[in-house]
Amino acid sequence: MSKPIRIALTKGRLEKDTVGLLEKTGFDCTAVREKGRKLILPVPDANLEVVLAKANDVITYVEHGVCDLGVVGKDTIMEMNGKFFELVDLGFGKCKFALAAKKGTDFYSGYGIKTIATKYPNVARSFFETKNMDTEIIKIEGSVELAPLLELADGIVDIVETGTTLKENGLEVIEDVAPISARLIANTVSLKLRHQEIEKLIKLIEENL
Amino acid sequence: MRNYDLITPEGTKDLLLEECIIRRNIESSLRSIFKSGGYNEMITPGLEFYDVFNLNSRYFPQKNLYKLTDSKGRLLVLRPDSTMPIARVVATRLKDALLPLKLCYNQTVYRTEPALKGRSDEIAQAGIELIGSQLKIADLEVISTAVSALKSFGMKFSLELGHIGIFKELVSRLEISDAQKEEIRQLIEAKNFPALNDLLDTLGNSFVTNALKVLPGLFGGIEVFDKAQQLMPDEKIKAILDELKAIYCDASEICGDDGEITVDLGLVNKTDYYTGIIIKGYLQGHGREVISGGRYDKLISEFGYDVPAVGFAVNIDAVAKVIAKSGVPVEMPCADVIIFAEAGSEVSAIKKAQELRSEGLTVENAMFEDIDTVREYAKEKRIPKIIIVDDENDNKTEVLA
Repeated sequence: MSKPIRIALTKGRLEKDTVGLLEKTGFDCTAVREKGRKLILPVPDANLEVVLAKANDVITYVEHGVCDLGVVGKDTIMEMNGKFFELVDLGFGKCKFALAAKKGTDFYSGYGIKTIATKYPNVARSFFETKNMDTEIIKIEGSVELAPLLELADGIVDIVETGTTLKENGLEVIEDVAPISARLIANTVSLKLRHQEIEKLIKLIEENL
Repeated sequence: MRNYDLITPEGTKDLLLEECIIRRNIESSLRSIFKSGGYNEMITPGLEFYDVFNLNSRYFPQKNLYKLTDSKGRLLVLRPDSTMPIARVVATRLKDALLPLKLCYNQTVYRTEPALKGRSDEIAQAGIELIGSQLKIADLEVISTAVSALKSFGMKFSLELGHIGIFKELVSRLEISDAQKEEIRQLIEAKNFPALNDLLDTLGNSFVTNALKVLPGLFGGIEVFDKAQQLMPDEKIKAILDELKAIYCDASEICGDDGEITVDLGLVNKTDYYTGIIIKGYLQGHGREVISGGRYDKLISEFGYDVPAVGFAVNIDAVAKVIAKSGVPVEMPCADVIIFAEAGSEVSAIKKAQELRSEGLTVENAMFEDIDTVREYAKEKRIPKIIIVDDENDNKTEVLA
C-alpha cells in the first residue's frame, strides 16, 4: 500500500464533524476517536493519516505540502489567504462574519473614521476596502464584544452563529460580511501527484454530505 | 539599541558545506543542459528600475517588491524575476540579433514573502528563454529541456501542461467587467468549486458558464482531452485543445518512463503574461512547483519589440531542499594530500603543492608547527596522505590507514 494521505483537521467541532463524515462513508475511525494525547492518527482502511491541528496551522501544513488535505473553516481561509486548492464546501460548521455595533446606533453616519475591533483584521480590512471606507482596525484576542461596550471601538467584525452573545451585550448585526462553513482544502502539488486517490476520497465524501 | 550584526535578515540564509555543494551541483547540471541546447548565458543587474516591472501586464504586485531609490530619487527594485529584464534586453540591445535567440540565466530573484511562513525572500533561479519562434517545435524544445532538467535531479517527477487560451476564449464570450473576470480566474486557479459555481450561477446558464465551472476539474492524463471536447463543443476551443493534445502526446513520448506528463486545463496563473502553453514541474516531497513557465508572445512587445517567446525557470532552492531531504549522501570534497614544511623548507613545500595541484590533486599546506598536530588534523579531515618536505633530507611520505 502506498504512503497514506495526510489530512489535517481543525481541532474541536470541525474535527468531530469530519470524523462523523468519514465514519458515514464507512471508514473505521476508532483510533481518532480514542486518540488520547496523540496528534497523528491512522484511519487504515481509508489509507488516511489524520493530523490534529489549530485552524491556522491546518493551512500552514497544507500550504507546505506536509499534509495533503485539510479541513478548515472559511473564516480562517479568509483571514490567512495562501496558495492551496479549496475543493469542497463541507456544509457543516456554518456561521457568518458580520459587522455589529451597539443597538440603535447608526453605524455609517457621520464623517468620522470608525474604529473596528476584531480578531480578523484582514477580513475586516478587505470588507471596508470594498466600501472604500477608511477605518481604524484594532486587533483583539478575546471577547471582541467588549470593545464597543468599553467604547474602544464603534463596531466589531466577528463570527456570528446565533447572535445570542451580541444580544446579551446590547449589540446587533449591522451588515453580514460573508457566510462561513468548513472547507476541504488540498495542497496544489499533492492533488496532482496523488490525483486518483484524492479524487476517490472526495467523491466518497461528497456522496455522504 | 539592538545590534543585528550576527544574524541575516528574515527570508535569507547562508549556505554552507553540503547546502552549498547541493546548490552548485544543481546549477552546474542545469547550466550544462542549457548550454548543450545552444543557450547562451546572460546576467542582468540585481537592481532595475521599478518601471521594468510596472508594465500593462503587471504580474508583480507592488507590495511584493523590494524597493529603494537611486541617487536621483528614482525608484529601483531588487529584480523579482529574470524574464522581464531579459525581455528588456531583447527589445533594446538584441533588437537586431538573428532569431531565434536562445538565452539562459542563473541568478537570484527577490520578493517579499509574508513573515514567519518559512519562505525565502531570496530565491536562486535558473531558466531558459527561447525568443523568436511561434512554431510547435519551439514549445516542444522548451518542454523537452524542462524534462531533461527534471530528470537530472534524479527523482520521480511530473511535468504538467496547460493552455491559457481556453480560459481566455471562454471569458471573452461573457459580457462582464474585468474585475469579475479576475474573480473567476482566481477561483479557477484555487480550484474553488463552491464559490465558482455560485458566481457563475449569477451569470446565467450557458455553454460558457458550464464550461468554466468544470475547467478546474479538467486535469489528469490523456482522458482529459476527450472530456474537455465533450464539455466544450466549440470550434475555436477545439483548435486549442488539438494543439495542446498534440504537444502532450509528443512530450509524453520524449519523457519516456522516468517521469510523467500530465495536463491541467485549469492552469490560469499570470493570465496577462502567458499567451499559450503553460508548464509546471513537480517533485514528490515539495509542496509547490519547482518549475514554472510558458509561452509569452506579447510581453516583449510591451518593451517595443513584437517578438514571440517561450521559456521556464527552475526554483533551485526548492530542488535543493528536496534533494537534501531525500538523504542522498553529498560527496564532501576532501584533500588528497597535506604537505608539511620543515622549518626553512617552506618554498619547496609550496612548490611541491603547486606541482601536485597541476597534476590534478587537491593539496593542502599544513598550517601547524609540529608534525603530530598535522597527523591529528589529517585524521580528522580524512586526508589520506602527508608529505613532509625537508630541504636538508629527502621528502618523506606518510600514508594514513
